[in-house]
Amino acid sequence: MSNVIEVAGLTKRFGSLTAVNDVSFSVERGEIFGLLGKNGAGKTTTVEILEGYQSPDEGQVSVLGVDPKKGGGTWKDRIGLVLQDSDFDPSHTVTETVKLFAGFFSHPKSVAETLDLVGLTDKADVRIGRLSGGQRRRVDVALGIVGSPELLFLDEPTTGFDPSARREFWTMLEGLRSAGTSILLTTHYMEEAQHLCDRIAILAAGRIVAEGTSTSLIALAGTTTVRFNVVDGLDVASLSNGVGIDFHVAGDVVSAALANAQSELLRLLQYVERVGLELDGLEVVRPTLDDVFLDVTGENS
Amino acid sequence: MRFVRLSLRQAQYNLVAYTRSARTVIFGVLMPVGFLALFNSVFGGKFKTIPVGGHDISTIAFYTGGLTTYGVMLGTFTGILVAIVGAREAGWLKRFRGTPMPSGVFLAGEILYLFVTSLGLIIVMLAVSHFGYRLSLPAHAYLAIFCYTVLGVFAFSAMGLALTRLITTSEMAGSVGPFTVVILSFVSGVFLAPNLLPQWLLTFSSYLPLEPIVSGMQHAIALPGGSGLQLRPFIVLGIWGAVSFVIAQSNFTWEPQRH
Repeated sequence: MSNVIEVAGLTKRFGSLTAVNDVSFSVERGEIFGLLGKNGAGKTTTVEILEGYQSPDEGQVSVLGVDPKKGGGTWKDRIGLVLQDSDFDPSHTVTETVKLFAGFFSHPKSVAETLDLVGLTDKADVRIGRLSGGQRRRVDVALGIVGSPELLFLDEPTTGFDPSARREFWTMLEGLRSAGTSILLTTHYMEEAQHLCDRIAILAAGRIVAEGTSTSLIALAGTTTVRFNVVDGLDVASLSNGVGIDFHVAGDVVSAALANAQSELLRLLQYVERVGLELDGLEVVRPTLDDVFLDVTGENS
Repeated sequence: MRFVRLSLRQAQYNLVAYTRSARTVIFGVLMPVGFLALFNSVFGGKFKTIPVGGHDISTIAFYTGGLTTYGVMLGTFTGILVAIVGAREAGWLKRFRGTPMPSGVFLAGEILYLFVTSLGLIIVMLAVSHFGYRLSLPAHAYLAIFCYTVLGVFAFSAMGLALTRLITTSEMAGSVGPFTVVILSFVSGVFLAPNLLPQWLLTFSSYLPLEPIVSGMQHAIALPGGSGLQLRPFIVLGIWGAVSFVIAQSNFTWEPQRH
């Protein structure tokens, strides 16, 4: 079987709240799959069911061919977990902590290699209590990968990272992927999902509202937009008439959705030349995953 | 084999944390030793003996046996309670749960480590009484003390473990643990001579898990002859320990408790 994760009709309720509602997806071996959603969308609940911490109310779940609730030591030996909030003993050093965890697995990476991968080599002998939040998060990741997992779960791994640390982290994950590790990642950073994930599922209120590659999701959100600032002497109605597309004014900004960007832009520029207008702050904007996200989660209305 | 190896590693890991924490060293060693020196100095010269369970026991042996057991209970009962509740609250237990580590390893490592620190404490306490207050132990006492320590560590840690379901925050654990041990000590012949307590309280405390082992320790240290071992502590603490262990096993939880 080439899929490392299969989820079909997964539903989980907490009292009257349906945290995960009829969710289905699969993760192929060797890919980075992203679960994208706001806080409370059901990402962590879904991941914790896959990790075996919680039981589904309905639906089938299979991780490396095993029902996570029945996954024993040999199953856990093949997966790595980076949980959302899980602390360490502050009095031990980074090396001591990673070494302890390495001992639980049958084919661990060396401590030195692990620390090198997460960029903690120069903190190896520092006690965890003296690390910054971002450095502790790297220890989290170190404990997740030290067992050389086939499948790695990462629940919002880069929360608290500065931009350069996040870039380094992405490079590390891409390295793991090229070494054959399959990765399930949850995040609320669109940029992270767009950069890293081979495929993305967007969760909102417990349901998958969109799924695909980031390119296909962006295509879904459709149109390119042109916008510029309101200038003196601009009449939006005659502009719309003259160019042949509908312009809208919101605050100080005039914008229009472009169905056929090249010819419509050309007409716009020719029109403003002809009537002698100077466009201020002209921008042509392609949709990003952010827009897709806001669209499909219904927040862009 | 793997289980033993991992448990030993876990115990060693805990020991390292113990030696690096000022709190455990102060409460685990300095406080019992301080009490021992204090009580020996104040009452050691005043009273020659204290009657315990029909025997007159030297005051130094009374306090050495009592405060040593107090130290073991404080260390194990409070120690395991604070360790497990704290590790659970911090998500540390949950993290272990996600690894191939057999689930008993965490517990075995904890108990093993508590046993080692308890033995260490006993050695220090006996040395203080021997060199500071001329306590000399009868030959059989060493084996008896060892057996009582095994019993105490088992029963007290099982009790602490059973309480982890009721106590959900480490703040609570840190106050309930020592409080219980101190109250229990006052009615179990640790600080006060038993003949100062009313009879009903003595009878009551003989069913509680501290008095029988305190009295056993005191007799083993003070009285020559026999094995130095009594049956009563093994029955009372055995039952407390076994029942606690069953309770702990049936509803132990690895995940942080939501409030």
